Amino acid sequence: MIEVEHLAKSFDSGSGRKRVRVPAVVDVSFRARDGAITGLLGPNGAGKTTTLRVLAGLMAPEAGSAHVGGIDVTRDPQAARAVTGVLSDARGLYTRLTARENIDYYARLRQVPAPAAAQRLAELADLLDMGALLNRRVEGFSSGERMKVALARALIHDPQHLVLDEPTNGLDVMSTRALRRLLLRLRDAGKCLLFSTHIMQEVEALCDEIVVVAHGRSVAHGSSAQLRQRTGCATLEDAFVALALAPA
Amino acid sequence: MNAVWAVFAKELVDALRDRRALAIALAMALLAGPVVFTLVSNLVSGIEERVQKREIVVVAQARAPTLVNFLQRAGATVVDAPADWEAQLRSGRLQNAVVVPPEDFEQRLARGDTVPVEVAYDESHDRAQPLVAAAVRTLQAFNRELGTQRLLARGVSPQVLAALAIEERNLAAAQARGARLLFIVPWAALIVAIVGALAVAIDVTAGERERGSLEPLLMNPVPAWAIVLGKWAVVMLYSVAIVLLTMAGFLLSIRFIRSETLSALMQLGSRELALFCAVLLPFAALMAAVNMLAATFGRTHKEAQTYVSYIAMAAQFSAVVPIFLTVRDAAWQLLVPSVAQLSALMKALRGEPLAALDLWLPAAVCAAGTVACLAAQARLLGREAIVFSRG
Repeated sequence: MIEVEHLAKSFDSGSGRKRVRVPAVVDVSFRARDGAITGLLGPNGAGKTTTLRVLAGLMAPEAGSAHVGGIDVTRDPQAARAVTGVLSDARGLYTRLTARENIDYYARLRQVPAPAAAQRLAELADLLDMGALLNRRVEGFSSGERMKVALARALIHDPQHLVLDEPTNGLDVMSTRALRRLLLRLRDAGKCLLFSTHIMQEVEALCDEIVVVAHGRSVAHGSSAQLRQRTGCATLEDAFVALALAPA
Repeated sequence: MNAVWAVFAKELVDALRDRRALAIALAMALLAGPVVFTLVSNLVSGIEERVQKREIVVVAQARAPTLVNFLQRAGATVVDAPADWEAQLRSGRLQNAVVVPPEDFEQRLARGDTVPVEVAYDESHDRAQPLVAAAVRTLQAFNRELGTQRLLARGVSPQVLAALAIEERNLAAAQARGARLLFIVPWAALIVAIVGALAVAIDVTAGERERGSLEPLLMNPVPAWAIVLGKWAVVMLYSVAIVLLTMAGFLLSIRFIRSETLSALMQLGSRELALFCAVLLPFAALMAAVNMLAATFGRTHKEAQTYVSYIAMAAQFSAVVPIFLTVRDAAWQLLVPSVAQLSALMKALRGEPLAALDLWLPAAVCAAGTVACLAAQARLLGREAIVFSRG
């Protein structure tokens, strides 16, 4: 379970006298259940990535709190990271290493015993259909192949929580399908999945619950049907536009 | 500790697979010895040869047969000055002093006048100094001889003029004489320790930021200090390997060049090279940490290279500053990294004894600096501006 309450975070923009404080997240609250896929839906610059970075324990919020599996991420970021896997916007793979070496590196950092890591990697490679990639160097991989490696790396310690930032960015249909398959499987295994996106089809196809974020605030929370009903719109897209444009 | 080891193992593989950087580092390490020793032995033997041959260049020998006669008696070889001797002096093609007697040299000498004799040289050429000094000494001997003859002709004892009997005694040990130029040898070793692992230091810091791999890396439940320590260990190891290889290159070059002048000038056997390593290793550790810290501020390889190159330049040039200030063995020098190392290396090379303090104090300074830089870097990795701003 991931719980975020009244999160706020702002950044300095510009330098010297022109420096101004720009709010990224003003007031975001939501809850992502175990055994469910929760979508963080919002336009570009709504504060999705910032929220996810706070959840990963890499940014300290100015106000509010974030808990992952009951652990306060600001108080004990190491413990929170241990039960979370993150697929960040920057895939950040090492190009001179093979796919397997990239994944093994994180397994070692997370102290996954070698036999367990090998077995888990075999499963993930099968699910993501990436067995042929494992022993090739990442240099020259397509964005779909990179996503698969990064995703396997984020899942190598079998985390209870998986946070994904715009996972389908730049993916072709086949890769997107492989990703969806895996996410649904993880959900059925009782994992808590949270992912941010601005793509409606993704949300429709995958999410059990949707959190709409706009201007740094969480403005609505519910299933696709609930959101459509609440706004009186026929499609999720219309419902989203109505919610995102509504005055705060 | 597991995390440190994991980072170390990964970064080592990654660094060794960067073939281009590896090839450049290896080339530098292997070429440093041959290049430096060829250069130094040429410089040194050139000077020795010419001073020993005692060639004196004279313009228009026919004007001053008495002078030429004396020079020959004094064992010098008199050489005719080329027509464009002034230009040759300036260009450095001619490095000897050129003696210019006036046209009426013999007549004025016969009259018992004081005859002006010009000694022309170009001081800006390094090798000129000992040659000029030798020429002037010979002329002064001629002057003494003539003066003595004139006094005797007037019935005065030459002793009257010799109130002082000046005897020169050069106390520099045989090895120390050439050592002024020899700072090039330890300097080259020092530079290798400074820049040998630069590419790796940049790749493990700014490289992570540029690739966008720093953010996911820090999302692992691993403290920042463990990541920094693992990375530093690889940079340090790389740098040490390059330094050791360079020392091996030095040893081989010396055996190969076998210049007698060079071996008379400096002591560089396996004992001295072991001392070189002892001095350079803590310094390499410090430079690894300093370079990594500076490169962490770079969002890209390119940006990091700019920062790091200023540091490398400062370290290289601060090392030789005391040589040009001709400060020797001031206590503060032991506390300044690079200055302390160069002065210890020079001592080793000159065959002077190295006190325990000469080794331990600079090493302790390096160790403290290394710890401080690594701690600062671990703190930097907690800064949002470093983790999230990418190139």
